[in-house]
Amino acid sequence: MKMRAFEYHRPETLAEALAVLAEFGGDAKVIAGGQSLVPMMAMRLSTPDHLVDISRISGLDEIKLADGRLTIGAMVRHAAAFSNDLVATTAPLVHAALPHIGHRAIRNRGTVCGSLAHADPAAELPAVARALDAEFVVANAHGIRLIPAHEFFLGYLTADVGDGEMVTEVRFPIAAANAVVSVQEVSRRHGDFALAGCVAQLSIAPNGTIETAALALFGVDATPYRSAAAEAELVGNMSTSEVFANAATKMTADLNPAADNHGSTAYRRHLAGVLVRRALADAASKFSLTIGALA
Amino acid sequence: MTAQMLSLSLTVNGLEHVLNVESRRTLAEVLREDLQLTGTHLGCEHGVCGACTVIIDGAAARSCLVLGAQCDGSHVETVESLAADGELHPIQRAMIDHHGFQCAFCSPGFLMSIKALADDDPDMSKEQIREELSGNLCRCTGYASILAGAEAAFDVISKRNKLNSIEETKNA
Amino acid sequence: MREAIVGKLVGNSVKRTEDPRLLTGTGRFVDDVTVPNMAHAAFLRSPMPHAEITRIDTTAAKRSPGVIAIFTGAEIAEFTNPFVGLMPLPGMYDPTFYSLATDRVRHVGDPVALVIAESRRAAEDGAELVEVNYRELEPISTIGQALDSTRAPIWPKAKSNVMVSMNQPSGPAVGPIFADADRTFTQRFVQHRQSNQPMETRGIVVEIRSEGPAIVHAATQSSHALKWALAMMSGRLTVPGSIKEMFKHRDRPKLFVNGAKSLMAAKPEMKGAGKPMMPTMMKQMASDPKRALDLQRSMVALLAKGQDSRPEVVAQDIGGAFGAKGTVGREDVAVYAAAVHLQRSIKWIEDRNENLMVGGHARDENVELSMACDHDGTIRGMHVRLDMNIGAYPAFPFGGGMFSQIIRVMMPGPYRLPALQFDTRIVASNKGTYVAYRGPWAVETWVRERMLDIMARNLGISRADIRRRNMITAAELPTKMITGPALDVRMSAAVTFEKAMEVAEFDLWAARQAEARTNGKIVGMGFATFIEAAPGPPGFFDQVMPGAGSMAASEPAHVVLESDGTVSVYIQQMPHGQSHETTFAQVAADELGVPMEQIRVRYGDTRVTPFSLFGTGGSRAGAMTGGVVTFGSRELRGRILDIAADLLEASRDDLVVTNGNVHVAGTPARSVDFAAVAAQAKRSPQPAGAVAPKTSEAIRIQSEYDGGEGGWAQSTHVCWVEIDLETGVVKITRYVVAEDCGELINPAVVEGQVRGGVAQGIGAVLYEKITYNESGQFQTGTFMDYLIPTTMEIPEIEIHHIETPSTIEANYRGVGEGGMIAAPAALTNAIEDALAHLGVIITEQHLPPSRILELAGVITP
Repeated sequence: MKMRAFEYHRPETLAEALAVLAEFGGDAKVIAGGQSLVPMMAMRLSTPDHLVDISRISGLDEIKLADGRLTIGAMVRHAAAFSNDLVATTAPLVHAALPHIGHRAIRNRGTVCGSLAHADPAAELPAVARALDAEFVVANAHGIRLIPAHEFFLGYLTADVGDGEMVTEVRFPIAAANAVVSVQEVSRRHGDFALAGCVAQLSIAPNGTIETAALALFGVDATPYRSAAAEAELVGNMSTSEVFANAATKMTADLNPAADNHGSTAYRRHLAGVLVRRALADAASKFSLTIGALA
Repeated sequence: MTAQMLSLSLTVNGLEHVLNVESRRTLAEVLREDLQLTGTHLGCEHGVCGACTVIIDGAAARSCLVLGAQCDGSHVETVESLAADGELHPIQRAMIDHHGFQCAFCSPGFLMSIKALADDDPDMSKEQIREELSGNLCRCTGYASILAGAEAAFDVISKRNKLNSIEETKNA
Repeated sequence: MREAIVGKLVGNSVKRTEDPRLLTGTGRFVDDVTVPNMAHAAFLRSPMPHAEITRIDTTAAKRSPGVIAIFTGAEIAEFTNPFVGLMPLPGMYDPTFYSLATDRVRHVGDPVALVIAESRRAAEDGAELVEVNYRELEPISTIGQALDSTRAPIWPKAKSNVMVSMNQPSGPAVGPIFADADRTFTQRFVQHRQSNQPMETRGIVVEIRSEGPAIVHAATQSSHALKWALAMMSGRLTVPGSIKEMFKHRDRPKLFVNGAKSLMAAKPEMKGAGKPMMPTMMKQMASDPKRALDLQRSMVALLAKGQDSRPEVVAQDIGGAFGAKGTVGREDVAVYAAAVHLQRSIKWIEDRNENLMVGGHARDENVELSMACDHDGTIRGMHVRLDMNIGAYPAFPFGGGMFSQIIRVMMPGPYRLPALQFDTRIVASNKGTYVAYRGPWAVETWVRERMLDIMARNLGISRADIRRRNMITAAELPTKMITGPALDVRMSAAVTFEKAMEVAEFDLWAARQAEARTNGKIVGMGFATFIEAAPGPPGFFDQVMPGAGSMAASEPAHVVLESDGTVSVYIQQMPHGQSHETTFAQVAADELGVPMEQIRVRYGDTRVTPFSLFGTGGSRAGAMTGGVVTFGSRELRGRILDIAADLLEASRDDLVVTNGNVHVAGTPARSVDFAAVAAQAKRSPQPAGAVAPKTSEAIRIQSEYDGGEGGWAQSTHVCWVEIDLETGVVKITRYVVAEDCGELINPAVVEGQVRGGVAQGIGAVLYEKITYNESGQFQTGTFMDYLIPTTMEIPEIEIHHIETPSTIEANYRGVGEGGMIAAPAALTNAIEDALAHLGVIITEQHLPPSRILELAGVITP
């Protein structure tokens, strides 16, 4: 299990990186943390001729608030994002999802943008980005493209990042002050990719009415799965288990997850419904806790 | 694509090395093949088993998932660094006391994961230790002895740190 | 650490001698070995489950940078001999095959070419450039497909994919018993395929030296077996060379006999003991003359050449094996032969993908079990129909054939069984090789313990009572199993059972479960009892397979007083996690009266360790090596006392040894240490009949021990589960083991073995499954597919030790395999108990969350 030979590039500036990417196009790959790419290269499933290490480009490891959004740069590692107060306060769903990614040694190296660009449908962060309507900044030698999450994930392990391009940052909307979140998943073993999972962010009025609802499923389709019908079912209704069950039914009505050795189609569809309910109930329980704390 | 050779500067266990290595070598391969530090073991080479865990710039990482080239200028700690001047590290001592390992092929990864965790938070709870070590596979022990050793090591390190800080306060 | 230990070391959790080395990164595993001018190997492997190789072109690959040589199957066959099985089952078709596929590939991962290069990376680059054309053949994946007579055999010389079909009765015929029985039960059980998956994969470094034999550094469970297998299979002469050799050696028959004699001299008890196998071997050869030729050429390879043509094997630290590294790998032979052929040292380290594909699979069986019993559950007869899928290439030297027979012999377990009919079909398929994996016969315990629960529920009696009604108690001992082996008075399965029931408060369980259910909790408790031949009573292996006992007859050890007064204990066991350097030092130190530090246990190096082809396996080390080290050390102590008596001018009977000093009892001041004794021994003439010591040695004792009464290890496991019926996730909430493996040499080591075995058993049920699809494609090539449980999946395991009192010396028994034997039964029984109110019957061993919900009727399959 040894990777094929490649030429390693370590640009110091973004412009330099984009120039290398422009020169080699489809023969080049960006490496940030490498936690998904390196195993694929070791198995020779990914065999780039050129590898562009973006770790030394200054500024890419920044987390900042800009234009009312939380911006996470391409070299921000999972561990750094998790311990960042700005992330915890302005994007609580991102914060909640991060510990579910692999294990600590993986999170110490892997990057938020890397996970998103890798577009693994069983991963947590793409679902978070989809639920929160995150926006991606994709750059090439000629400029940048801004891509909304619903257009970014194209298919299994495929994001809208073309030859000669790289993700430079992801922007998350700032959560409402009363936002409550939950990440629910079932995996075969602790730390594995999920058989199915659900991320949810709700804001609930003091009287218990759901004001906003954003949720996405992962592990059940080729891309993160979101349902307008399910969210419509929630908004304006009281946060009760009946409402959550209705939302779960709506959310899973059209699901047809692929089967693999770890779970059948029927199992994943069923599990998705269970996890939607659990995510909503868990998020809502945090709202009650908040209310309790205020009272 | 022919092999590309790179010059690489790496501080391993406090010693600085300047190496000329093929760009496709992982850190694990650089440690094992170029520096003959064979204490770091390769169990799966795809980032699941954790046997190759080392500490890079203070953070635990899987050396099979990191290219040597990515570590240019970094400080790397391996299992060989734990015992200093013939004195075993408290983690090693605790593992011996608790019969932590059997074949011990996985031990370098466990030891370095525990070291990184204890450096970070020596007061971690039993449950947290168990969860944090779920990224390291052992096929021999069923984990009980490793967890017992880890808990004992955390205990020793936590107490030692507290004593040290009392000393420092006194001295100050 | 030792200051705290007063008196005996045996019985204490003495800290491990191995640890300071292993925990500082200074162990030496095979991948840590580097020798001068070392090349590296990689194998090109088949992506097809079953295909004819129509063309191989290595031209481009040979031009790849760093590539030194490439061998195809046809090329390697020119200078190696094929694998020829030496442990035949009567009537079994046992194919011969080369280390690389020659004309046909028979499973995904079948090695097609061997690439030797300056680095592993360069070798893999070269392998990518080898061009192979395949003509696909219909694959055989499942047992059902293998039994389908319309499908072509994967071994053309075999009539079908059924390698052997046997019907073996023990006791009276079961037909009338079933006809007359109050009740009969029949259930078909599916045992899925698993893999050993040690954290260290397989590997070999062949060191070619300018003088003397090649040194083979290997991760092996048996260095001697590997050595002789490599010698046999590597020395093939070319056809002209063969003819020349035949002409030159018209006296070859004599040569053969002389060679055999020298082998027998090394292992006298092998003479004649293997005779029962000869008719089977003769029949095999009569039906397949090429087999006779191959075997003869192997023997010539083994014996015609000088000692330098045979490698010496050196095994040092081994990163686990669990049975898999007892098999001589086809890769081992190919790499060794290539190194000798090229006269270049070569390293091959298997990667994880290879290890999952071809490093050894285990337990792929269907078992139809029928039981006849009285209304009260008393068992009257058992009929077992075992179908075993051993994959394409039989393991060498021990394969599925032998394991099927251990399953047969162990089928009664600790229960009274008046009659057993055992029908076996061993099938070949396009899957990886079936090897030994921790309790290779474990399916007998799983199906029996599963069936007892099913019977109890149907008969309306408790699961404990059905076992009590049938389990052999102390009052009935000694007795014999219907399949032959003797059960001596230390067979304490019933004692472990009662202890487990007491600890588990079984009588309160029904009420607790009912209460939990009213609270919406789905909980279950299951248990299982088994016995394990560890190493088994005298003659056990002959009851498994007539003649097989010749390999298992005894265990050797050399106990040596070195010139400097230290003691070396040489064993043929090959520890790979079992802590033998510690435990046998404890045994020897107690016997000799010296501190642990004065003892060095040595193993793994064929140049110095005693000969045996068995290696580590069969739970033999505790009883047999523990015994031979005890008795060998005792003999050495006698010799030491003889000399010390002279030196101290005292009566030998008055002498005691404490802390390494020999002195007259009561006057410790007047003493001699072992170094002084050693010096005196070197000055004195050897006593008559004594083994001559080597230059650096003072006294050498060479002992063999047949295991005496041998005996059994036994235990009862109890497992509690809670099941989330929304997600199908099974959580193990408690796990208890009550076990008796005789006297404990080192309790911490014993407990580690038990817990490790249980963890693998839990893995088997909830996480681990080797998967091929219906068309033979391999689907579990990474650790993301084959799931080894982590700290979060393995519960705490409580262990209760029981030791049946005995006057037998060295009353140690093996304990390594049992955890894995009982855990799948206890866990699946617990799961069924939890789901019993839903009418669930568990007949398959692998139960991932999706399957749990299917069984519970939450989702449709």
